Amino acid sequence: MRVKVMKFGGTSVATPEARMISALRAVSAKEQGFSPVVVVSAIGRTGAPYATDTLINMLRDIDPNVTPEPRELDMLIACGEITSAVIFAHTLKTLGHPAQAFRGGQAGIRTDGVYGNARIMSILPVSLQRSLDSGMIPVVCGFQGVFVPPQGGPGAELTTLGRGGSDTTASALGAALNAEAVEIFTDVDGVKTADPDYVPQAPTLRKVTYDEVAEIAHLGAKVVHPRAAEIAMHYNIPLWVKNTFTDDEGTEIVPRESFPGRRATGVTHTGKLVHLQFDLSPCGDAEREALEGRIFGTMARFGVNLFMVNVSPSGTGFAVPRSQYPAVEDLLDGLVAPVCSSTYLLQIGQNASKEVETQAAVLEGAGKVQRVVAAVTEGCTMVSLIGHEYMRQAGLFAGLLSTLFEAQISVLQTSDSDLSLSVLVPEADANRAVRLIHDRCGLSELA
Amino acid sequence: MRRGFTQVHVSHLPEPVMSARLQSLHAVGEAGISIDFLKMTPSGMSFLVADSQSDPVESALKPIGVRCTVRPARCVVEVHAVNIRDEEGMIARIVAIAIQSGARLEHICDMHDRLLIVVQEQDLEPLHQELLKLAEAAK
Repeated sequence: MRVKVMKFGGTSVATPEARMISALRAVSAKEQGFSPVVVVSAIGRTGAPYATDTLINMLRDIDPNVTPEPRELDMLIACGEITSAVIFAHTLKTLGHPAQAFRGGQAGIRTDGVYGNARIMSILPVSLQRSLDSGMIPVVCGFQGVFVPPQGGPGAELTTLGRGGSDTTASALGAALNAEAVEIFTDVDGVKTADPDYVPQAPTLRKVTYDEVAEIAHLGAKVVHPRAAEIAMHYNIPLWVKNTFTDDEGTEIVPRESFPGRRATGVTHTGKLVHLQFDLSPCGDAEREALEGRIFGTMARFGVNLFMVNVSPSGTGFAVPRSQYPAVEDLLDGLVAPVCSSTYLLQIGQNASKEVETQAAVLEGAGKVQRVVAAVTEGCTMVSLIGHEYMRQAGLFAGLLSTLFEAQISVLQTSDSDLSLSVLVPEADANRAVRLIHDRCGLSELA
Repeated sequence: MRRGFTQVHVSHLPEPVMSARLQSLHAVGEAGISIDFLKMTPSGMSFLVADSQSDPVESALKPIGVRCTVRPARCVVEVHAVNIRDEEGMIARIVAIAIQSGARLEHICDMHDRLLIVVQEQDLEPLHQELLKLAEAAK
């Protein structure tokens, strides 16, 4: 049996016309001798009546001050995919092809018990296999599974897989069913060298490695979810990103050894960051380490996502998403940290807040209190160049930074790894920075 | 764990600092030296080169009058954590644990499936042990 997993994203199932086109793709695969397994996302994107965000807002609109229980939230948002799977299966039936809709749990997807961000632990695709054996097209709800508590309970708990979960469902099912290929259908032609909103002529990459695509996704591009790429890489399943609405051949995602060579792959941007730089120069080594430990420990406890972490004897810096900045400010501004024999008071921003002044007043007479100030730069974007065996070139940093310098784009910090090179720039310059780096690396010429 | 790196710290650059940083980077690039872990500091920058490049990098920077310090015996610890960005607070958690180990962290960067930490050779083993405990606890 030649199994092919075909995942259709929100826009590919948004309207009856889109669903018909998507369904015809599954039918076409069947006619070519494949046994298709369809995975669907919820219908439409933000604002659409059954989209995940719409469902969440229905709950939040009752009283924004009451946080929904993650368990109940999972039950609610899973309805989006359930609706989508049933409608898609019925669409296939109207085309004369028997189909069966499956919830994640019914498809045999078992997860851990982390509501809202569950991880797949195992897949027993017995019912899917039975469905395929009887000539049906199984249509599986993406983004969900079930958690079976080890101590037992009333029944399996519904869980959702977190961001990009439907891609992960597709990849994991591909692995469990030993699929010949996993195809991710979306509304763009494949993986682009840059965001087409920033670089309209950005070409589609015809071939890219799992590592590259995972790094592209990690650094801000909305393509295949990194977890999906990881699973495909681990099980060596050919992965494709294709456009539902065109006949473009799409992007093939392959193992590193299948696509060697030095190349620039793409430029991404992760917007809306706030950069904080703590001046720790007055601290001794032991005190600095203890303070850093306190700062990072606090960020970890409250689940803050850090970007471009920078540590040096004179200070520590990192960027956080703007959406998390108010929480970071709440946590750190006015934080009193007794370290070794000194007491430190953290201040976020050059001007002391009421909180900081209150703490300073309370601490008066309690010995020497050292204030540690974090310089805050709001409105930052991380722009990253991704490449394969590309970052080890002598002079690459100098060339890129010169390009930005000549364009009068200030670079607040840099970060690099084997696969990428990132610069933190003002948000207002992000578009220009993406285009300049894209041009400098000759990415438009890939077309 | 990867051994065999030298940290190069360039400091006291004249204003405008960015222009002076670029001049230094061009000099290193023209000498055919590949750098990693570039980090900007208030008056300069620091980066890593392979140990075998420590003399050539000094020779490249000397003619342009740049003050640099070369510190050998640096290591890169790779903490493999698949989808590091999915687990909120994961990077901060690893960094906090690395600091707790007593290691002096000289640089940190992240990839889609790992965090890279630059430390001195002497800090490698205690850091490794702490990270192994974290990995064990995550199982």
